[in-house]
Amino acid sequence: MEQEAPAQPGSVPAVTLRRFELADVDAMMEWASDPEVTAFMTWDAYTSREAVLAFLRDAVLPHPWFRAVCLGGVGDGHGPHRPEGAVSVTPTDDACRAELCVLLARAHWGKGVATAAVKRAVAAAFGDLPGVERVEAVVDVDHAAARRVLEKAGFQREAVLRSYCVVKGRVRDMVVYSVISTDPLVE
Amino acid sequence: MEVQQGGAPAPAAELVVSLREFTLSDADAEAFMSWASDPRVVRFQRRDAYEHVDQARRYIADHVLPHPWYRAICAGAGAPLPVVGSISVKPGPAEDGRLFRASVGYRVAHAHWGRGVATRAVRAAAEAVFAAWPWLLRLEAVADVENPASQRVLEKAGFVREGVLRKYILLKGRPRDMVMFSIVVDADTDRRRQQNKPDGP
Repeated sequence: MEQEAPAQPGSVPAVTLRRFELADVDAMMEWASDPEVTAFMTWDAYTSREAVLAFLRDAVLPHPWFRAVCLGGVGDGHGPHRPEGAVSVTPTDDACRAELCVLLARAHWGKGVATAAVKRAVAAAFGDLPGVERVEAVVDVDHAAARRVLEKAGFQREAVLRSYCVVKGRVRDMVVYSVISTDPLVE
Repeated sequence: MEVQQGGAPAPAAELVVSLREFTLSDADAEAFMSWASDPRVVRFQRRDAYEHVDQARRYIADHVLPHPWYRAICAGAGAPLPVVGSISVKPGPAEDGRLFRASVGYRVAHAHWGRGVATRAVRAAAEAVFAAWPWLLRLEAVADVENPASQRVLEKAGFVREGVLRKYILLKGRPRDMVMFSIVVDADTDRRRQQNKPDGP
């Protein structure tokens, strides 16, 4: 797993979040079909375009808060509106609590993109989702890079929840992180 | 429970706590009211205090009887033992259709607090569901940060404290910080994990 590059002045990536469209299916397929990207996800890498399209149509478009992570003009040939990943904030049965998930194409790991996307998502979701005061994220205890993203984005580590999730058929311990609406903003 | 040995008289009776299923009887509905109508008990529950026994009757019929695992806590003296509380274990959430977790909640009438009733009931419930559900790997429970009595019950019943989850549950309109507890069994050996694994790097 790549190390996160230390943040340097002027090198913070320009990250924007926008709603997904069905036309994003091919870009999404690139990272949703990458087993390294989905290694710590509870779902398997997608293997068909039709499945990704169905996921976009049935899960993403109607979702209360699901955004494409786009990079603004980093000069690598990709336009500013191509989705390089996704971030979602999903309300739970308790109206005060929502769960964050973030996914990013491998080419953009280690550059602070995920951290920037998470910070932006949390700030926006608190405003957009009425009643939500807690945004939490559960991360595999062995997923050090994801834990660093959350810590840098201002999440507070709360506990290790033992045998909490099933990932690729194995029951895993997960670290739970949270940010509360009244927590001071990071950066 | 004390076991009689030879002809010696039994020592002062230890508290007897047993669990049984609820019925649609008036007696069970009235017993239910003894905690469901008490603000001291419902303070840490989502539900408001009941005001009429019909609410308890309806709740037993609509929610308790169809529930996967809901028991009356019986304790004290006499035969049959009086119903003094309730305890329920809810399977899930499932992941990819696989069940491996469940959560337990309990309530005891105020008159029976402080005598170990809840601790024995929780211990008995945990043993029962781990025996009845071979798929169960994690049994969890939460207690309000301002409910140290309930936290002690869970610790004495063998649960491991995992941490405080901030603004976790909405209680009567207010988000509450909750302490998360769990009993976890090792999937390979079926033995309980006694403490948290050391933190990763």
